[in-house]
Amino acid sequence: MLSVRDLVVRFSTGRGVVHAVNGVSLDVEPGGTLGLVGESGSGKSVTSLAIMRLLPRGGRVVSGQVWFGGRDLLRLSAAEMRSVRGREIAMILQDPQSSLNPVLPVGEQIEEAIRAHERVSRPAARARAVELLGAVGIARPEEQLGRFPHQLSGGMRQRVMIAIALALRPTLLIADEPTTALDVTVQAQVLELLRDLTDEVGAAVVLISHDLGIMARMAGRIAVMYAGRVVESAPTEELFARPRHPYTVGLLRSIPRIGGARRALVPIEGSPPDLERLPEGCPFAPRCAWRIEACWTQNPSLATDDGPAHLVACHDPAEPEEVGPGRPIRPGFAPAPPPGIRAGVA
Amino acid sequence: MSATLLSVEALRVHIPVTRGVVLRRTTGVVRAVDGVTLDVREGETLGLVGESGSGKTTLGRAIVGLVPPTAGSIRLRGVEVSTLSGRGARRARSELQMVFQDPFASLDPRWPIARSVEEPLRLHRAGDRRERRERVLELLELVGLSRRMADRYPHELSGGQRQRVGLARALALRPALVVADEAVSALDVSIQAQILNLLQRLQEELGLAYLFIAHDLAVVHQISDRIAVMYLGQIVELSPGVDLYREPMHPYTVSLLSANPVPDPSVEAARERIVLPGDPPSAAAPPPGCRFHTRCWLRERLGDPEICRTLEPLLREVGPGRSVACHFADEAAASPVTRRAVDLAGGRA
Repeated sequence: MLSVRDLVVRFSTGRGVVHAVNGVSLDVEPGGTLGLVGESGSGKSVTSLAIMRLLPRGGRVVSGQVWFGGRDLLRLSAAEMRSVRGREIAMILQDPQSSLNPVLPVGEQIEEAIRAHERVSRPAARARAVELLGAVGIARPEEQLGRFPHQLSGGMRQRVMIAIALALRPTLLIADEPTTALDVTVQAQVLELLRDLTDEVGAAVVLISHDLGIMARMAGRIAVMYAGRVVESAPTEELFARPRHPYTVGLLRSIPRIGGARRALVPIEGSPPDLERLPEGCPFAPRCAWRIEACWTQNPSLATDDGPAHLVACHDPAEPEEVGPGRPIRPGFAPAPPPGIRAGVA
Repeated sequence: MSATLLSVEALRVHIPVTRGVVLRRTTGVVRAVDGVTLDVREGETLGLVGESGSGKTTLGRAIVGLVPPTAGSIRLRGVEVSTLSGRGARRARSELQMVFQDPFASLDPRWPIARSVEEPLRLHRAGDRRERRERVLELLELVGLSRRMADRYPHELSGGQRQRVGLARALALRPALVVADEAVSALDVSIQAQILNLLQRLQEELGLAYLFIAHDLAVVHQISDRIAVMYLGQIVELSPGVDLYREPMHPYTVSLLSANPVPDPSVEAARERIVLPGDPPSAAAPPPGCRFHTRCWLRERLGDPEICRTLEPLLREVGPGRSVACHFADEAAASPVTRRAVDLAGGRA
């Protein structure tokens, strides 16, 4: 239902050009949940903003297509795009405070969202708002309509955002770190709500998160992003059981887990690349413990591996027996040194 | 068992809520920390978990002297530090240091990082200029930064590097205890693992003790010897880390474990979660009786016993090194709900 093809997004800053998204392709099935996981600067949020055509100042789509409902969203007029937003694709952000109007009661904001897209009377919109607040688990919804965003807790505000997002029964919901600012018990409520309501409405979801635990709970399929590219994409079970990209393996080894014997974490050394000066080869090569010579010069493209559903962008993916927790990284293997001094590699 | 380094007893930190600018009136009081007793031993890591408003940050700040306690005592190797003044206080404070979630906030953006790291040395008049510079370079190396970084500015550093600088600064005066408040929470997981490993290495090399405050149960588990769980200003459970996750005895601990997302899809698919109703109540008006009773999943299953609403449960010892504040801790521990939450959280293995 949503197909992103070879999306490239750049930002011009005063100092140079930030290569935020560098050829991302994604597919979301109707009713499915695609998890976009990655660290800060990986391009996951920028990708979603580009899909919504809401890139901040300085950002522009250089190339690529965003197919949705038989149209390329990047070619729609501003007016056409406005009607897609909200009605067909809705979005929830990490900080509901920034998307809610602070001087308008929440009830009016929900009514406004409904009336912006549907010709309904004020009382009818109000009745829908009450119904929606009830559906997102807000007690005594009539009383809450007149309250202002700052009078609500973070969890309540995020519920209001979900109510607004789902008011028009969109077919796609993009949720960018929707629970990152919430406490874990409130996060559990909101995730549960998100799942129940999107199931009910039949909406597909693009869920953006840095939290692999949330991905394991919510996503049917996961795309792992690094330096503005999808480096691995697979059904959730498969990705956790048989990660192939060294970065995915690194992430899974880096996260502490509850229970069992405590084992040493194996961090990924170094830090993510400077998006203004990307290396010419694989962007992960400077941090990769398994890199070979080709990694320094050729950026591998995303290709099938282990069946059509599993995609990986790596010259020499990890073998299943190498990825177990606590295992040494390819014993006796020395990562290829960079070939001389080359421009663009820190 | 090592000697007690820090002991906190019946600590209260009440923060007045005021209204009005011209006529400031006190309209209430937030009981941010409301009767906390705990020890930190030499060289150990005590983890402190809780949600926002639990008082964990205020407790940490009170320990290092950033907020004055309302009542109770904080003793470092037997010496009361909360009422010290002058030189004694300065010495005690140098042994108690803090690392913050956002190292950017604790570094002056106009100063090269060497100057920020040097600042505590200068304030304590440690050595001359050359000796201090040498010590700064040593500290940077200790936290895994190269000496060449010394003259860089905070904005030139990545989040992980800035957190290393914050750590170097905290270690400048050779503290005995470092209070780390959400010190890795803002970092990406690959960097978070680097800093956690660094904290563990420093502990081994320097014999440091940590009070490690965080909301992430897995991170706390990774680094802590013992773990205290806070809810609305009080400790509801305190146990060695292994026991806490295998046999939680407080219904709140059980709900935290149950809500915590586990990076394993088969576990997540099979799990039956306890979803607590509502938000935590305000610490300005904590519920009477047990503070957790308004959200407790066990109370309902026990037929709503009156005692939960009327009598505040005290933190009591229930086993070696294990304490819990619940009238029905045995029932909580034995409940099938608890078993399921724990088994699936992976605590069984």
